[in-house]
Amino acid sequence: MLPRVADSLSFLYLDVVRVVQDDTGVCALIEGPRGTDRVYLPVAALSCVLLGPGTSITQPALATIARHGTSLVCVGSGAVRCYAGILPDSLTTAWLERQTRAWADDTARLAVAVRMYERRFGVPVPENTTLAQLRGLEGQRVKALYKQLAQRYRIGRFRRNYDPAAWDQQDPVNLALSAANACLYGVVHAAVLALGCSPALGFIHTGTQHAFVYDIADLYKAEVTIPLAFSLHAATDPEREARLRLRDQFRLLRLLPRIVIDIQNLLDPDNATSRTTPKETLVELWDPVVGPVPAGVNYGNEPADLEESPW
Amino acid sequence: MMVLAVTAVPPHVRGALSRWLVEAAPGLYVGCVSGRVREELWTTVSAVIGDGAAVCVHPADTEQGYELRTAGTRRREPIDLDGLTLIRFRAPEQPTSTSEPEFPW
Repeated sequence: MLPRVADSLSFLYLDVVRVVQDDTGVCALIEGPRGTDRVYLPVAALSCVLLGPGTSITQPALATIARHGTSLVCVGSGAVRCYAGILPDSLTTAWLERQTRAWADDTARLAVAVRMYERRFGVPVPENTTLAQLRGLEGQRVKALYKQLAQRYRIGRFRRNYDPAAWDQQDPVNLALSAANACLYGVVHAAVLALGCSPALGFIHTGTQHAFVYDIADLYKAEVTIPLAFSLHAATDPEREARLRLRDQFRLLRLLPRIVIDIQNLLDPDNATSRTTPKETLVELWDPVVGPVPAGVNYGNEPADLEESPW
Repeated sequence: MMVLAVTAVPPHVRGALSRWLVEAAPGLYVGCVSGRVREELWTTVSAVIGDGAAVCVHPADTEQGYELRTAGTRRREPIDLDGLTLIRFRAPEQPTSTSEPEFPW
C-alpha cells in the first residue's frame, strides 16, 4: 500500500467535466461545440483526484476510484478550498490507532505537537517550553520569512490576506499562496487518508474535519508554498502557475513519500526503524492483556476461569 | 529508449526508420538510440507526415517519467492538465448538413 501511494502521480485537478465509468475505464467527458470529447483518467496511478466546481461524478466511477485506494477530494474553484474526501475500505487501522492513542492522552498529544514545531524549526526545542512560546516563535519566523521574501522580490509590504468573498481583488502572491496551499492540503489529505489516519484529529489545530491535514501541511509551507507564491508576484495567472510549479516541486522533493514518513515519525518516533508492512489480516479482536487475537475463531472451548455460566 | 508509432506515412519514411529501429508491430518502431538521433528521426518523420500521423514516446524527466509528442491530426490529441499529460479523444466530426436537401415534410 504505502510504496504505491508514494510512487503514484501526485494529483489531478478537474473542473467543468462529467466523470463516468464506461466499459473500459474512468473517463472525463468534456462538452464542446463539436460534441463530447473524452479523456481517460489513470485513476489507479493517481494518488489524489481534486474535483473542482462544475464537475459531476457517477457512483460506479466513484466506486472504481475508491477501489484503487485513490483519494478523492472535493475542492473549490482553482482548488482553493478543500471540502470533503473519501476513504478506501481495505485499509489497515494501525496508524489510526496510533494517532488516536497519541491524541486522546494530553501528555502524548503535547509531545506530538512539540515534535511538529521541532520539525518546522529544524532544531530541537529546550524542554519545558510551553506551546504558547512555540506558537510565538513560529509566528515570528513566518513574519521574518514574509519580510525577507518581500525584500528579495521588491514588492514592498506583504500582508497575508485570505478572503474567499473578495477573491479576485487580491494580489498575485496571496492568490498563488492560497492556490498552492490548497493543493498542498489536497496532497497531505491524500497521504493522511492513505495511511488510514483521521484528518480530523489534529495535534496543534483543532475543531475542524481537516485539523490534522493543516498540522501536517504547515510542516512544508515555509519550504514549498510560501517561496513559490512570492516568486509568482508578477504572474498573469498566478493560481494556474502555482499548480504547475508545485507539480515540479512535488516530484523534485518527492513530497508524498516524505509526508508519509513524516507522519509516521511524528506519531511513532520510537519504532521508526522497526516498521514493517502490516500483516494481511482482515479483522482482529481486542484484548487488553494479550493484544489483538484473531477474529473468526470460536473461543467457546477455551478454558476460562468462569464458573458455570448462568446462561 | 524510444517508441514511435506511425500511420499512413510514405514508404520511404518506413525504410528510413527501419535502419535505426525495430518494427515490432506494423507501424510500431522501438529502439534505444541517443537523444540526438531521436530528435533527428522525429524531425524527419514530422516533416513528411502529410495526411499520416506519428506518435513518439520516450523517457523524460517529468513526473510521469515520459514525454509524448504527436505529429499530424488524429482524433486523439495530448492535453496538458497542470503538468500531467493525458489524451483527449475528440468527438467524431459531424457532417455539415447544409448541402443536404430539405426534408419534404
